[in-house]
This record gives sequence, structure tokens and C-alpha cells, in this order.
Amino acid sequence: MKTLVTGVIGSDTHIVGNRILSMALEKAGYKVVGLGALTPAEDFVKAAIETDADAVMVSSLYGQGELDVRGFRDLFIEAGLGDIMIYIGGNLVVGKQQWGDVERRFLAMGFDRAFPPGTRTEIVIDTLARDFAARAAGKRIADSP
Amino acid sequence: MVSIITERAEMPLSEARIDADEFARLRRENLARWPTGAEVDLDEAAEYHRNLPQHKQLGWVMRRAVAEGRCLVQPRGGFGTFELQLELMTTLDREGLADIVPTTTDSYTRNERWEQAAKGIEESKKAGRSMLNGMPLVNYGPKVARQLNQAIDKPSIVLSGTSMPKLTSEIGIAGGYSGYLGSGIAYTVSYTKEVPIEVGIRNYQYLDRLASEYMAKGVELHRRQPGFLTGTNIPPSIAIITCVLDALMAAAQGVRNYGLEMGQTMHLIQDAAAIACCRELCQEYLAKRGYTDVFTPITSLHWMGAWPQDEASCQTMVAYGGTLAAIGGAASVTTKSVHEAFGIPTPAANAEGLRTTRMAVYLARHIRLDGLPEMEREKDLIRREVRAVIDKVLEMGDGDVVVGSVRAFAAGVLDIPWSPNRYVKSNILPARDVDGYLRILSPGAMPFPKDVLEVHEESLRRRAEAEGRAYDMDLAVDSVYEMSEPLRKLLPDQFTRLAAE
Repeated sequence: MKTLVTGVIGSDTHIVGNRILSMALEKAGYKVVGLGALTPAEDFVKAAIETDADAVMVSSLYGQGELDVRGFRDLFIEAGLGDIMIYIGGNLVVGKQQWGDVERRFLAMGFDRAFPPGTRTEIVIDTLARDFAARAAGKRIADSP
Repeated sequence: MVSIITERAEMPLSEARIDADEFARLRRENLARWPTGAEVDLDEAAEYHRNLPQHKQLGWVMRRAVAEGRCLVQPRGGFGTFELQLELMTTLDREGLADIVPTTTDSYTRNERWEQAAKGIEESKKAGRSMLNGMPLVNYGPKVARQLNQAIDKPSIVLSGTSMPKLTSEIGIAGGYSGYLGSGIAYTVSYTKEVPIEVGIRNYQYLDRLASEYMAKGVELHRRQPGFLTGTNIPPSIAIITCVLDALMAAAQGVRNYGLEMGQTMHLIQDAAAIACCRELCQEYLAKRGYTDVFTPITSLHWMGAWPQDEASCQTMVAYGGTLAAIGGAASVTTKSVHEAFGIPTPAANAEGLRTTRMAVYLARHIRLDGLPEMEREKDLIRREVRAVIDKVLEMGDGDVVVGSVRAFAAGVLDIPWSPNRYVKSNILPARDVDGYLRILSPGAMPFPKDVLEVHEESLRRRAEAEGRAYDMDLAVDSVYEMSEPLRKLLPDQFTRLAAE
């Protein structure tokens, strides 16, 4: 059984979507380590080490995610988990910006996937399954379907 | 050697008004936590407020609104730099016709991470756009805040979702804001993970005590309780229970102008019943405890859950929200915009949301539902739910509302759906019923009367039956998403599609 770490990063308290996602991931057969709201970046790394996680799923809904995830991938590299799969999703920036631009910005920061506002849990679960399959086949992430 | 410096023991937890010496000591410690705290001079600030024209004093403006049967329109809004905030506030005032102009603080400020907020200001200046989701009011301090307030011709309110309001409120009020949103129960259970309920309550006792200090100097500030809680499907009784308890705590500190907010359920009758019951039950319990002179206007809030991405759908929810507030008889409505699904709106989109709401309020201004059988039935249900819980909480505190509230949360007698706070059981689960009312799917340990719960269960079972699905937790989860679903799913445009599914 694969292990996922979930949580809402930074000073963000929006827990509902993250909790529903965590419930859906559990139902889909994953072991979920839910860190809840208001989770510092370092706690995601600690939890990933302690639970030998296969992926980290970061939620952010309040707009300041862009500041909170500065150097997020580096924290994992420093901890020796540089290759771990990291997703992020939510309202990641302040204001309504073109999603293509936002996605590029977050992928450049080292996230394997970035999901726009309003993404349904089925999409995340489907993408996760394909990405784990791609990993098993030696690729970083799956090609677009 | 015996140390002459002894740690002063914390006051025992109670609803009692903080005494003058203790409050002076707390203020000294508080204001020393960040350099701008030194700019606060209570006597000078009180004089500044006394010299404001009445139409810029929110305490007075809310009283006028109720006296004239008006429903004022107020947005939310905050950006990371002075320049952006100035543009926002003047746009909302002039283009949006806002009756009340807001300043929302950023989330670092709310969590008292002022160093991080300072970096956010710099990053925002560098990027040429706001990197913060609000105004870092503490970093800028009261002098700069007054410049913002001098640029508008309306009263202003600080919106700061936090259980730690002590320094932000000192700065904001000294900075000319005559309104301040936030309360010990509501914000602690909805904006924090690790903060114990009693700590949040103590912090707001400080703020309410501060408001009463201003009142002693001739300044009636408008304090307000954020009954929207976790912004999900909050059945009216749950919100009103927190309104009553927070109001009793504020009154004990000396507050006499205390607004209550109710998030809209998006059901015309339930929202009108909620607004009426909130006003009635707050006054009922205030009077029972001897507070007969507390002014308690109700504010109705546009949908606080997830919004759809389609701007036309959003526009409708904005307009309908104005309708719900006006028909419900709210003293004010707090607005959202068509950008809600994507986060923080531009000043122009925010102003448009205000005007859309304002027109809806105008159109609905004569309509009331009092006397309608469905409305009276709903009010009866809400009253029985609220009284059962409040009476139990007061009993658990041996008459002390603060002690009772803390004990009740520990026991689950008080409970909040979808709370991020670890001291809240969060076993209560709401869902929308067959007729569109928000009902209680699972009460957790909340002591609602058995026959009331049967009404809830029956109408939820009828929904499950109508939709051909199981009576389970998914009813609650789907209700969270409902309003943000694509229009085609909510109301299919082809009967063939409907038949095929």
C-alpha cells in the first residue's frame, strides 16, 4: 500500500477540501497521513521521512501558497528525498491569473503536478495512479492522457 | 537568594471583566511586541474617533441602518502594500458605493508572523502585484492606517480571521477603524489548529475589554461576531449558538454594540428564519443575564462555501445573496464577487459585486416573510435547537459562559462541522435535505431534542430516497461541493441525458 502525506501549507486554515481529498484517497486504497491545516513546509518533510511516504500532496487555498512553497523541493533534496513525487493544488496565487502561467511557475519550482482551483478528487486519484505506474516504468511522471 | 521578580499568575478563566490594573499590564506587554505598538496612545486615539464625523463611525452607522430598516452593503478586501490598499479602498468607496469599507489583513498578520509579513510587503513591491492575501496592518502601523481612512468617506472595519487579535486590534482602532470583526469562539474553532479554545477566548476578552475602554472615553466602536464559522454548510442553529455565547462574553467585558454574522444557506426561508432567530435569541439570553442595552444588528454573508467557476453563475449568487439579506431583514450584507472561485478579486470585480448586491437589496426592500407557515416552522425548530444547547453550556459552566463553553467543547456538547481545530470534536455533520434546507445528518454529542433530530433525519432520508442513493456521509460531502458544481450537472439541459443517467 502506497503512503501519501496530505496537508494545507503555511498559515492557511482551509481544511475542508483537503479533508475530503484525504478521505477519497483513503477510499482509493492509499494510506493517508493527514497533517491538517496550518502545516509548516518542514512538517511535510518530517512526515514524509517518518512514514516513508511515496508522495506528498500540498493544498493551498488562500493565495499565499506562492510564498509558502519557496524552496519546498530543496527541503526534500536536503533530506535525501529529492525524487519524491510532490503535487500541489488549490487557489495558488493572489487573484485570478491565467492557469497556464500559474502551472508553469509551480512546475518550475519543482512540483510534479499542479492542479487548478475546483479540481475534483477523481482527477487527482486518476493522475496519481498513472504517475505511480510511470514511476514503476522508470519515468518521472506519466504523459498527458 | 530569593528572586524578587515573580511570575504573575494568570487570571483564572472566567467571564468576569478584566480589572483595570490587569488590563493595563496586558496592554503594556502587548504593545511592546512590535515597534508600531509604540505609536498607540489610547487617549489620543479616542479623541481622533470622537472627532470623526458620525457617518464615518460604524457604531453609529449600524444603529442608523437598523433604525431606518436599511440593509447596508459591505465587501471584504485587502492587499499587501499601502498603495494597493489605498486604491482598493477608494475604488470600493466610490465605484462600489460600499456603505462600509473593509481592510482584510493577510494571513501572516493573522498568525502574528510579522517578520514574514514584512518580507511579503517587499516581495509584493518587487513583483508589482500583491503577494499577500491582505493588508499587513501591524507592519504599517496606526499612522499609515489613518491615511487609508482619511482617503474614504465611509466607516471602515478590520476583518482579520484569527484567534490572536490583540495587537492588530490596538493598531487598527488607533488607526481610525471603528469596526472590528472577530470573536473568541468563532475564530478559534475555524482559523486555528493548535490554539486551545480558552486561549482564543482570553484574546478576545482583551479586544472586547479594549472596546469598552474606548466606550468609557465616549467612543462607541462596532464589534462583530463572525458566525460563518468554517464557511461550509453551517445549519443556522450551530451559528446562532456561537453568536449567543460570544455575545454574552463580549457583553461581560462591557461591549454594547455587537453585530452577529450569519452565513447564507442559500435557502430563502431558512435564511430569513436564521436572521430573525439570531437577533431574537441573542437578545433573549443577553436579557436573561441582565444585559438589556446591547445593540445586536445582524449581518448576512454571501455564500461562504466553494463557488462555481462560471462567472454568470457567480453573478447570480451575488445578486441572490443581496435578495436573501434584504428579505431576511439583515442590517448589512457582506459581499463576494464573480472571482470567488479563483481567490481574491480585483478592485473592479469587487466593486461590481457591491453594485449587483445593492440593486438586489433595492428590489427586495419591501418584502418580508414573517407569518409564512414554513418560516414560522423553521424558526420554531431553530429556537428549540439553540436553547437546548445554550442551556446545557451555561449549566456546565455553573453559570459562567466562558467556563461552560470550554467544558462544552471538550465534551462535544458544543461542536462545529469541518473544524481544523484539534480541541473541537467535529463529529457534527450537516447536509442539504430534500427541500434544500441545511439539516443535521449526524449531531455528534450535541444535546438537541430527540423530536427535532427526527425532523432532520426524516427530510434527509427523503433526499436520499429521491436521489436513489444511500443515507450516509456522502450526502454531507456532496453538499459541500454542491454550489460549485457545473450548471449542467445541477440542472441538466437535456431530458435524454437525465433519463440515461
